[in-house]
Amino acid sequence: MSYYFAIIGTQDNPLFEYDFGTSKQGGDGMARFTEQARQLNQFIIHSSLDIVEEVQWTNGQMYLKLIDRFFTSYISCFLTASNIKFLLLHQPPTTTSSSSSAGLPPSSSSSALTSSSTSTLVQPSHSSSSSVLPSLSTLTGGSNASTTTLGGATRTSTSIAANPTSPQTEEAIRNFFAEVYENYVKAIMSPFYKTNMEIRSPVFRARVAAAGRKYL
Amino acid sequence: MSASKASRLGEEIWKTRIEKVNAELVVLTYGTIVAQICKDFENDYTEVNKQLDKMGYNIGLRLIEDYLAKSNTMRRCSNFRETAEMIAKVGFKIFLNVTPTITNWTSDNKQFSLVFDENPLADFVELPDDGRAQDELWFSNILCGVLRGALEMVQMQVETHFISDVLRGNDTTEMRVTLVRYIDDELPPEDD
Amino acid sequence: MSNAGGSGGGSGRAGESRLRYPSNGKTIYHRPLNRTKTAELSKAAFAYLFAEMVSYAQRRVTGIQELEKRLNLQGHPIGLKLLDLLLFREPPRSQLRPLNIIALLHFIKINVWTHLFGRQADRLEKSSNPETPDEFMIIDNEPLVNAYISVPKEMSQLNCAAFAAGIIEGVCDGAGFPARVTAHTVGDTSGSNGSGGTGGAADGEMWPGRTVFLVKFQPEVLEREALIGAKS
Repeated sequence: MSYYFAIIGTQDNPLFEYDFGTSKQGGDGMARFTEQARQLNQFIIHSSLDIVEEVQWTNGQMYLKLIDRFFTSYISCFLTASNIKFLLLHQPPTTTSSSSSAGLPPSSSSSALTSSSTSTLVQPSHSSSSSVLPSLSTLTGGSNASTTTLGGATRTSTSIAANPTSPQTEEAIRNFFAEVYENYVKAIMSPFYKTNMEIRSPVFRARVAAAGRKYL
Repeated sequence: MSASKASRLGEEIWKTRIEKVNAELVVLTYGTIVAQICKDFENDYTEVNKQLDKMGYNIGLRLIEDYLAKSNTMRRCSNFRETAEMIAKVGFKIFLNVTPTITNWTSDNKQFSLVFDENPLADFVELPDDGRAQDELWFSNILCGVLRGALEMVQMQVETHFISDVLRGNDTTEMRVTLVRYIDDELPPEDD
Repeated sequence: MSNAGGSGGGSGRAGESRLRYPSNGKTIYHRPLNRTKTAELSKAAFAYLFAEMVSYAQRRVTGIQELEKRLNLQGHPIGLKLLDLLLFREPPRSQLRPLNIIALLHFIKINVWTHLFGRQADRLEKSSNPETPDEFMIIDNEPLVNAYISVPKEMSQLNCAAFAAGIIEGVCDGAGFPARVTAHTVGDTSGSNGSGGTGGAADGEMWPGRTVFLVKFQPEVLEREALIGAKS
């Protein structure tokens, strides 16, 4: 699973960006976005802002859960008290299979063993062959047998990485956002912080990274 | 007055005779003051330090009366070491609810440091990342002025300045206090 | 834009910061946010700071109005920060962003006031004048900020509660309800525009410092409110 996290200000301006990969199930914490996908991520995040605006005044929750999806990219949102948007784009490691099955409940638990063993096998294959990295252009190409078995259908429901819509994923992202929010509030409490200022504190960045490792 | 007695006195006054407000109201108010001065002086931090010191001085001039009334110690401190104890354990305690550590005395007993383990004024602060603030701004400089003003009212001319601040990346927050002279002619007992 | 990779996962602009931090980790990020939630300082410390803020501001403005505007401006960022801080501290169940004017004003009257001044504001009122449906009032019988400042005679019109008005304005703006907030001592009709005439003479005598915070929302706030009301 690769993640792109962005904090967006009230003028739709980015205040903070960070991408990372899962640290669960042997993940190395590295994002597997191609350069092309990186640019696309920003585009996707920005286009989902419209949806945030639609629900902003009808739902008082801070955690708005999954709000948008663009092919294999899922976008979860958290709105701060002052209407600053936390957006997390998450993209399962596989492409075609997970996108088609992601919405379904896990089909069987019998494959739990295979999925956890293949996941550690597949990770290196991804990093060794950059052309397999998920992006729109490689939606159908570059896929091999091992990635297919990695699809959401073969995962157990506890697998955050492959199940963007599972309750476990939703809860993990809730925890991630909550921890980031705490650190965000600390950042903005400084008398020198003004609304919509970019957050450049390296300690803040490290805290976001830690939250990512801890929950995602 | 001994250190432990001063400490008990400070605790006692804080508990029984001080009207209190939420600490964050004070902290946020101080923050907005510093931010405004930085803006007014276009981040000329040397000037900001001066302004903060000046504000503190004005406060010190008025605060001493309050301090003397609350602490009920009209008696003059017998020496500068005792003055230091009273500043740290009574003065800081009853206004800011902290007790800085007194340390690094010079051998002539005229210079010491106050080391702040906690500094409520700086609770929510991260200095601007402009490459200068951490070298030039003393965020809590108002405290220097307060000490200078308050001690002047009790006939002590002191020089005060910060020499380190955790906000600058130092491991401690330390203020240096130097006795310049006693303002009246009367010699302090220790100076014989 | 993000520079790719970087060791330890993740990428970004971390390299640009020049900030130094103490090795013992004494930064805001290392302290729990609730550490000072119930901490106390002396009221005198606040009074001294506030008085200095006023006299500093006074030297840089001409006239009472400008001074009040400046105090308002200094309160504004505090409101913005408190909005997030206080909502963060709410238990998850009541951690809701205010979606309408009433919810927002309650948040100010209860959460913000209790946190800053140790008690709720005394009353909320809506303008009874049909021509000013955008006006609301938060009423405080004895604002702390006024209690501790003796305003010099030549400035008898000065209302230091302008600072608290700025805090309210910050909360409103931050929450997406842009508004202008002004403080008026009841009985002082010079700055009030008629709708602030709550209370009455008898009350005014009992609470000589009673202050009305007049919250005037921008038109778009009421338009949105009407729209949401129609939908639900």
